[in-house]
Amino acid sequence: MVAEAPTRDHPAGGRPKRRAAVLVEGPRFAHASEAELARILDFYMVRWEYEPRTFPILWNLDGQVVESFSPDFYLPDLDLWLELTTLRQSLVRRKNRKLRRVRELYPMIRIKLLYARDFRALMLKYGRLDVAASLIGADGQVMPGTPLAGSNASPADVARSGTAGEPADVIPVA
Amino acid sequence: MRTPDLEADVAEILITEQQIRAKVQELGVQLSRDYEGRSLTLVSVLKGSLPFMADLMRAITIPVTIDLMEVSSYGGAATETSGLVRILKDLSASIEGRDVLIVEDIIDTGLTLNYLLRYLRGKNPRSLRICALLDKPARRLVEIEIDYRGFTIPDSFVIGYGLDYGEIYRNLPFIGVLRPEVYTES
Repeated sequence: MVAEAPTRDHPAGGRPKRRAAVLVEGPRFAHASEAELARILDFYMVRWEYEPRTFPILWNLDGQVVESFSPDFYLPDLDLWLELTTLRQSLVRRKNRKLRRVRELYPMIRIKLLYARDFRALMLKYGRLDVAASLIGADGQVMPGTPLAGSNASPADVARSGTAGEPADVIPVA
Repeated sequence: MRTPDLEADVAEILITEQQIRAKVQELGVQLSRDYEGRSLTLVSVLKGSLPFMADLMRAITIPVTIDLMEVSSYGGAATETSGLVRILKDLSASIEGRDVLIVEDIIDTGLTLNYLLRYLRGKNPRSLRICALLDKPARRLVEIEIDYRGFTIPDSFVIGYGLDYGEIYRNLPFIGVLRPEVYTES
């Protein structure tokens, strides 16, 4: 397979993702669960970046990148990468393999993989189990122009870049 | 709407009342030794850590002051109004120059505590440490250094001894695992 030339969205080249993307201001969340996680991180004032970097994980003999991996979130203050996967098991296996490869090639980065069960537990903790089903798996994949499942806010509201402004009644964190 | 049943809704008892009592005594002895001669303030995070705080402070044999804080949780009523975590009840006295110990019932994602640590550090305590009765590392998103830990627990939804589901079950004297049917049927 021939690697594609690097682009802004795929700086390391490789095959572009075949995922539906949500058209929003700021990041384009490919899945409703990612938007929900972004809302949670925003709520607790944890800064995040959405897919800021692509890690090449496989090259051909010509040195071109043929496979790469873009973790969903980077939390700069915690120097932590998060990958959220709520899709079916076959895709999870593929993602696990990619993640192993990333860890082999980039041992210095800290990355956590959140599975559907982890996301469900998060929703249970926050009393949002009722919307969890609509945020997980194929149901959570969002087609362009459709609102995010389980969201009270518009996609534009939830797709901030993690630098949310503080309302007056919020006590600032030093 | 399903009616909660305190006994029937518990799938198993994870930590008994006796085990909790013994652990709290152990922590009290250790804290009394470590903070001997220092100005210790225990800060409890409402509501879940209330029973732990009440027992722990009585197991400590050196002079302490106590204070209470409450922080809004994601998904709660405050989520819709601001979209950001809020201090619902702040400290009632200054902690500047004091040795502060945050008393927590459980640490799972670490998100709330990460926020609280940043907030309390801004109030210039002499030291700031954490005492958690329960540690659920499987759920951790933010790495938090726990200075005093009661029990490390598996990845189950636990209730009792202050921990709730829908504000119920806090008054159980032990730590139990909630039956999954309770949250799938409600």
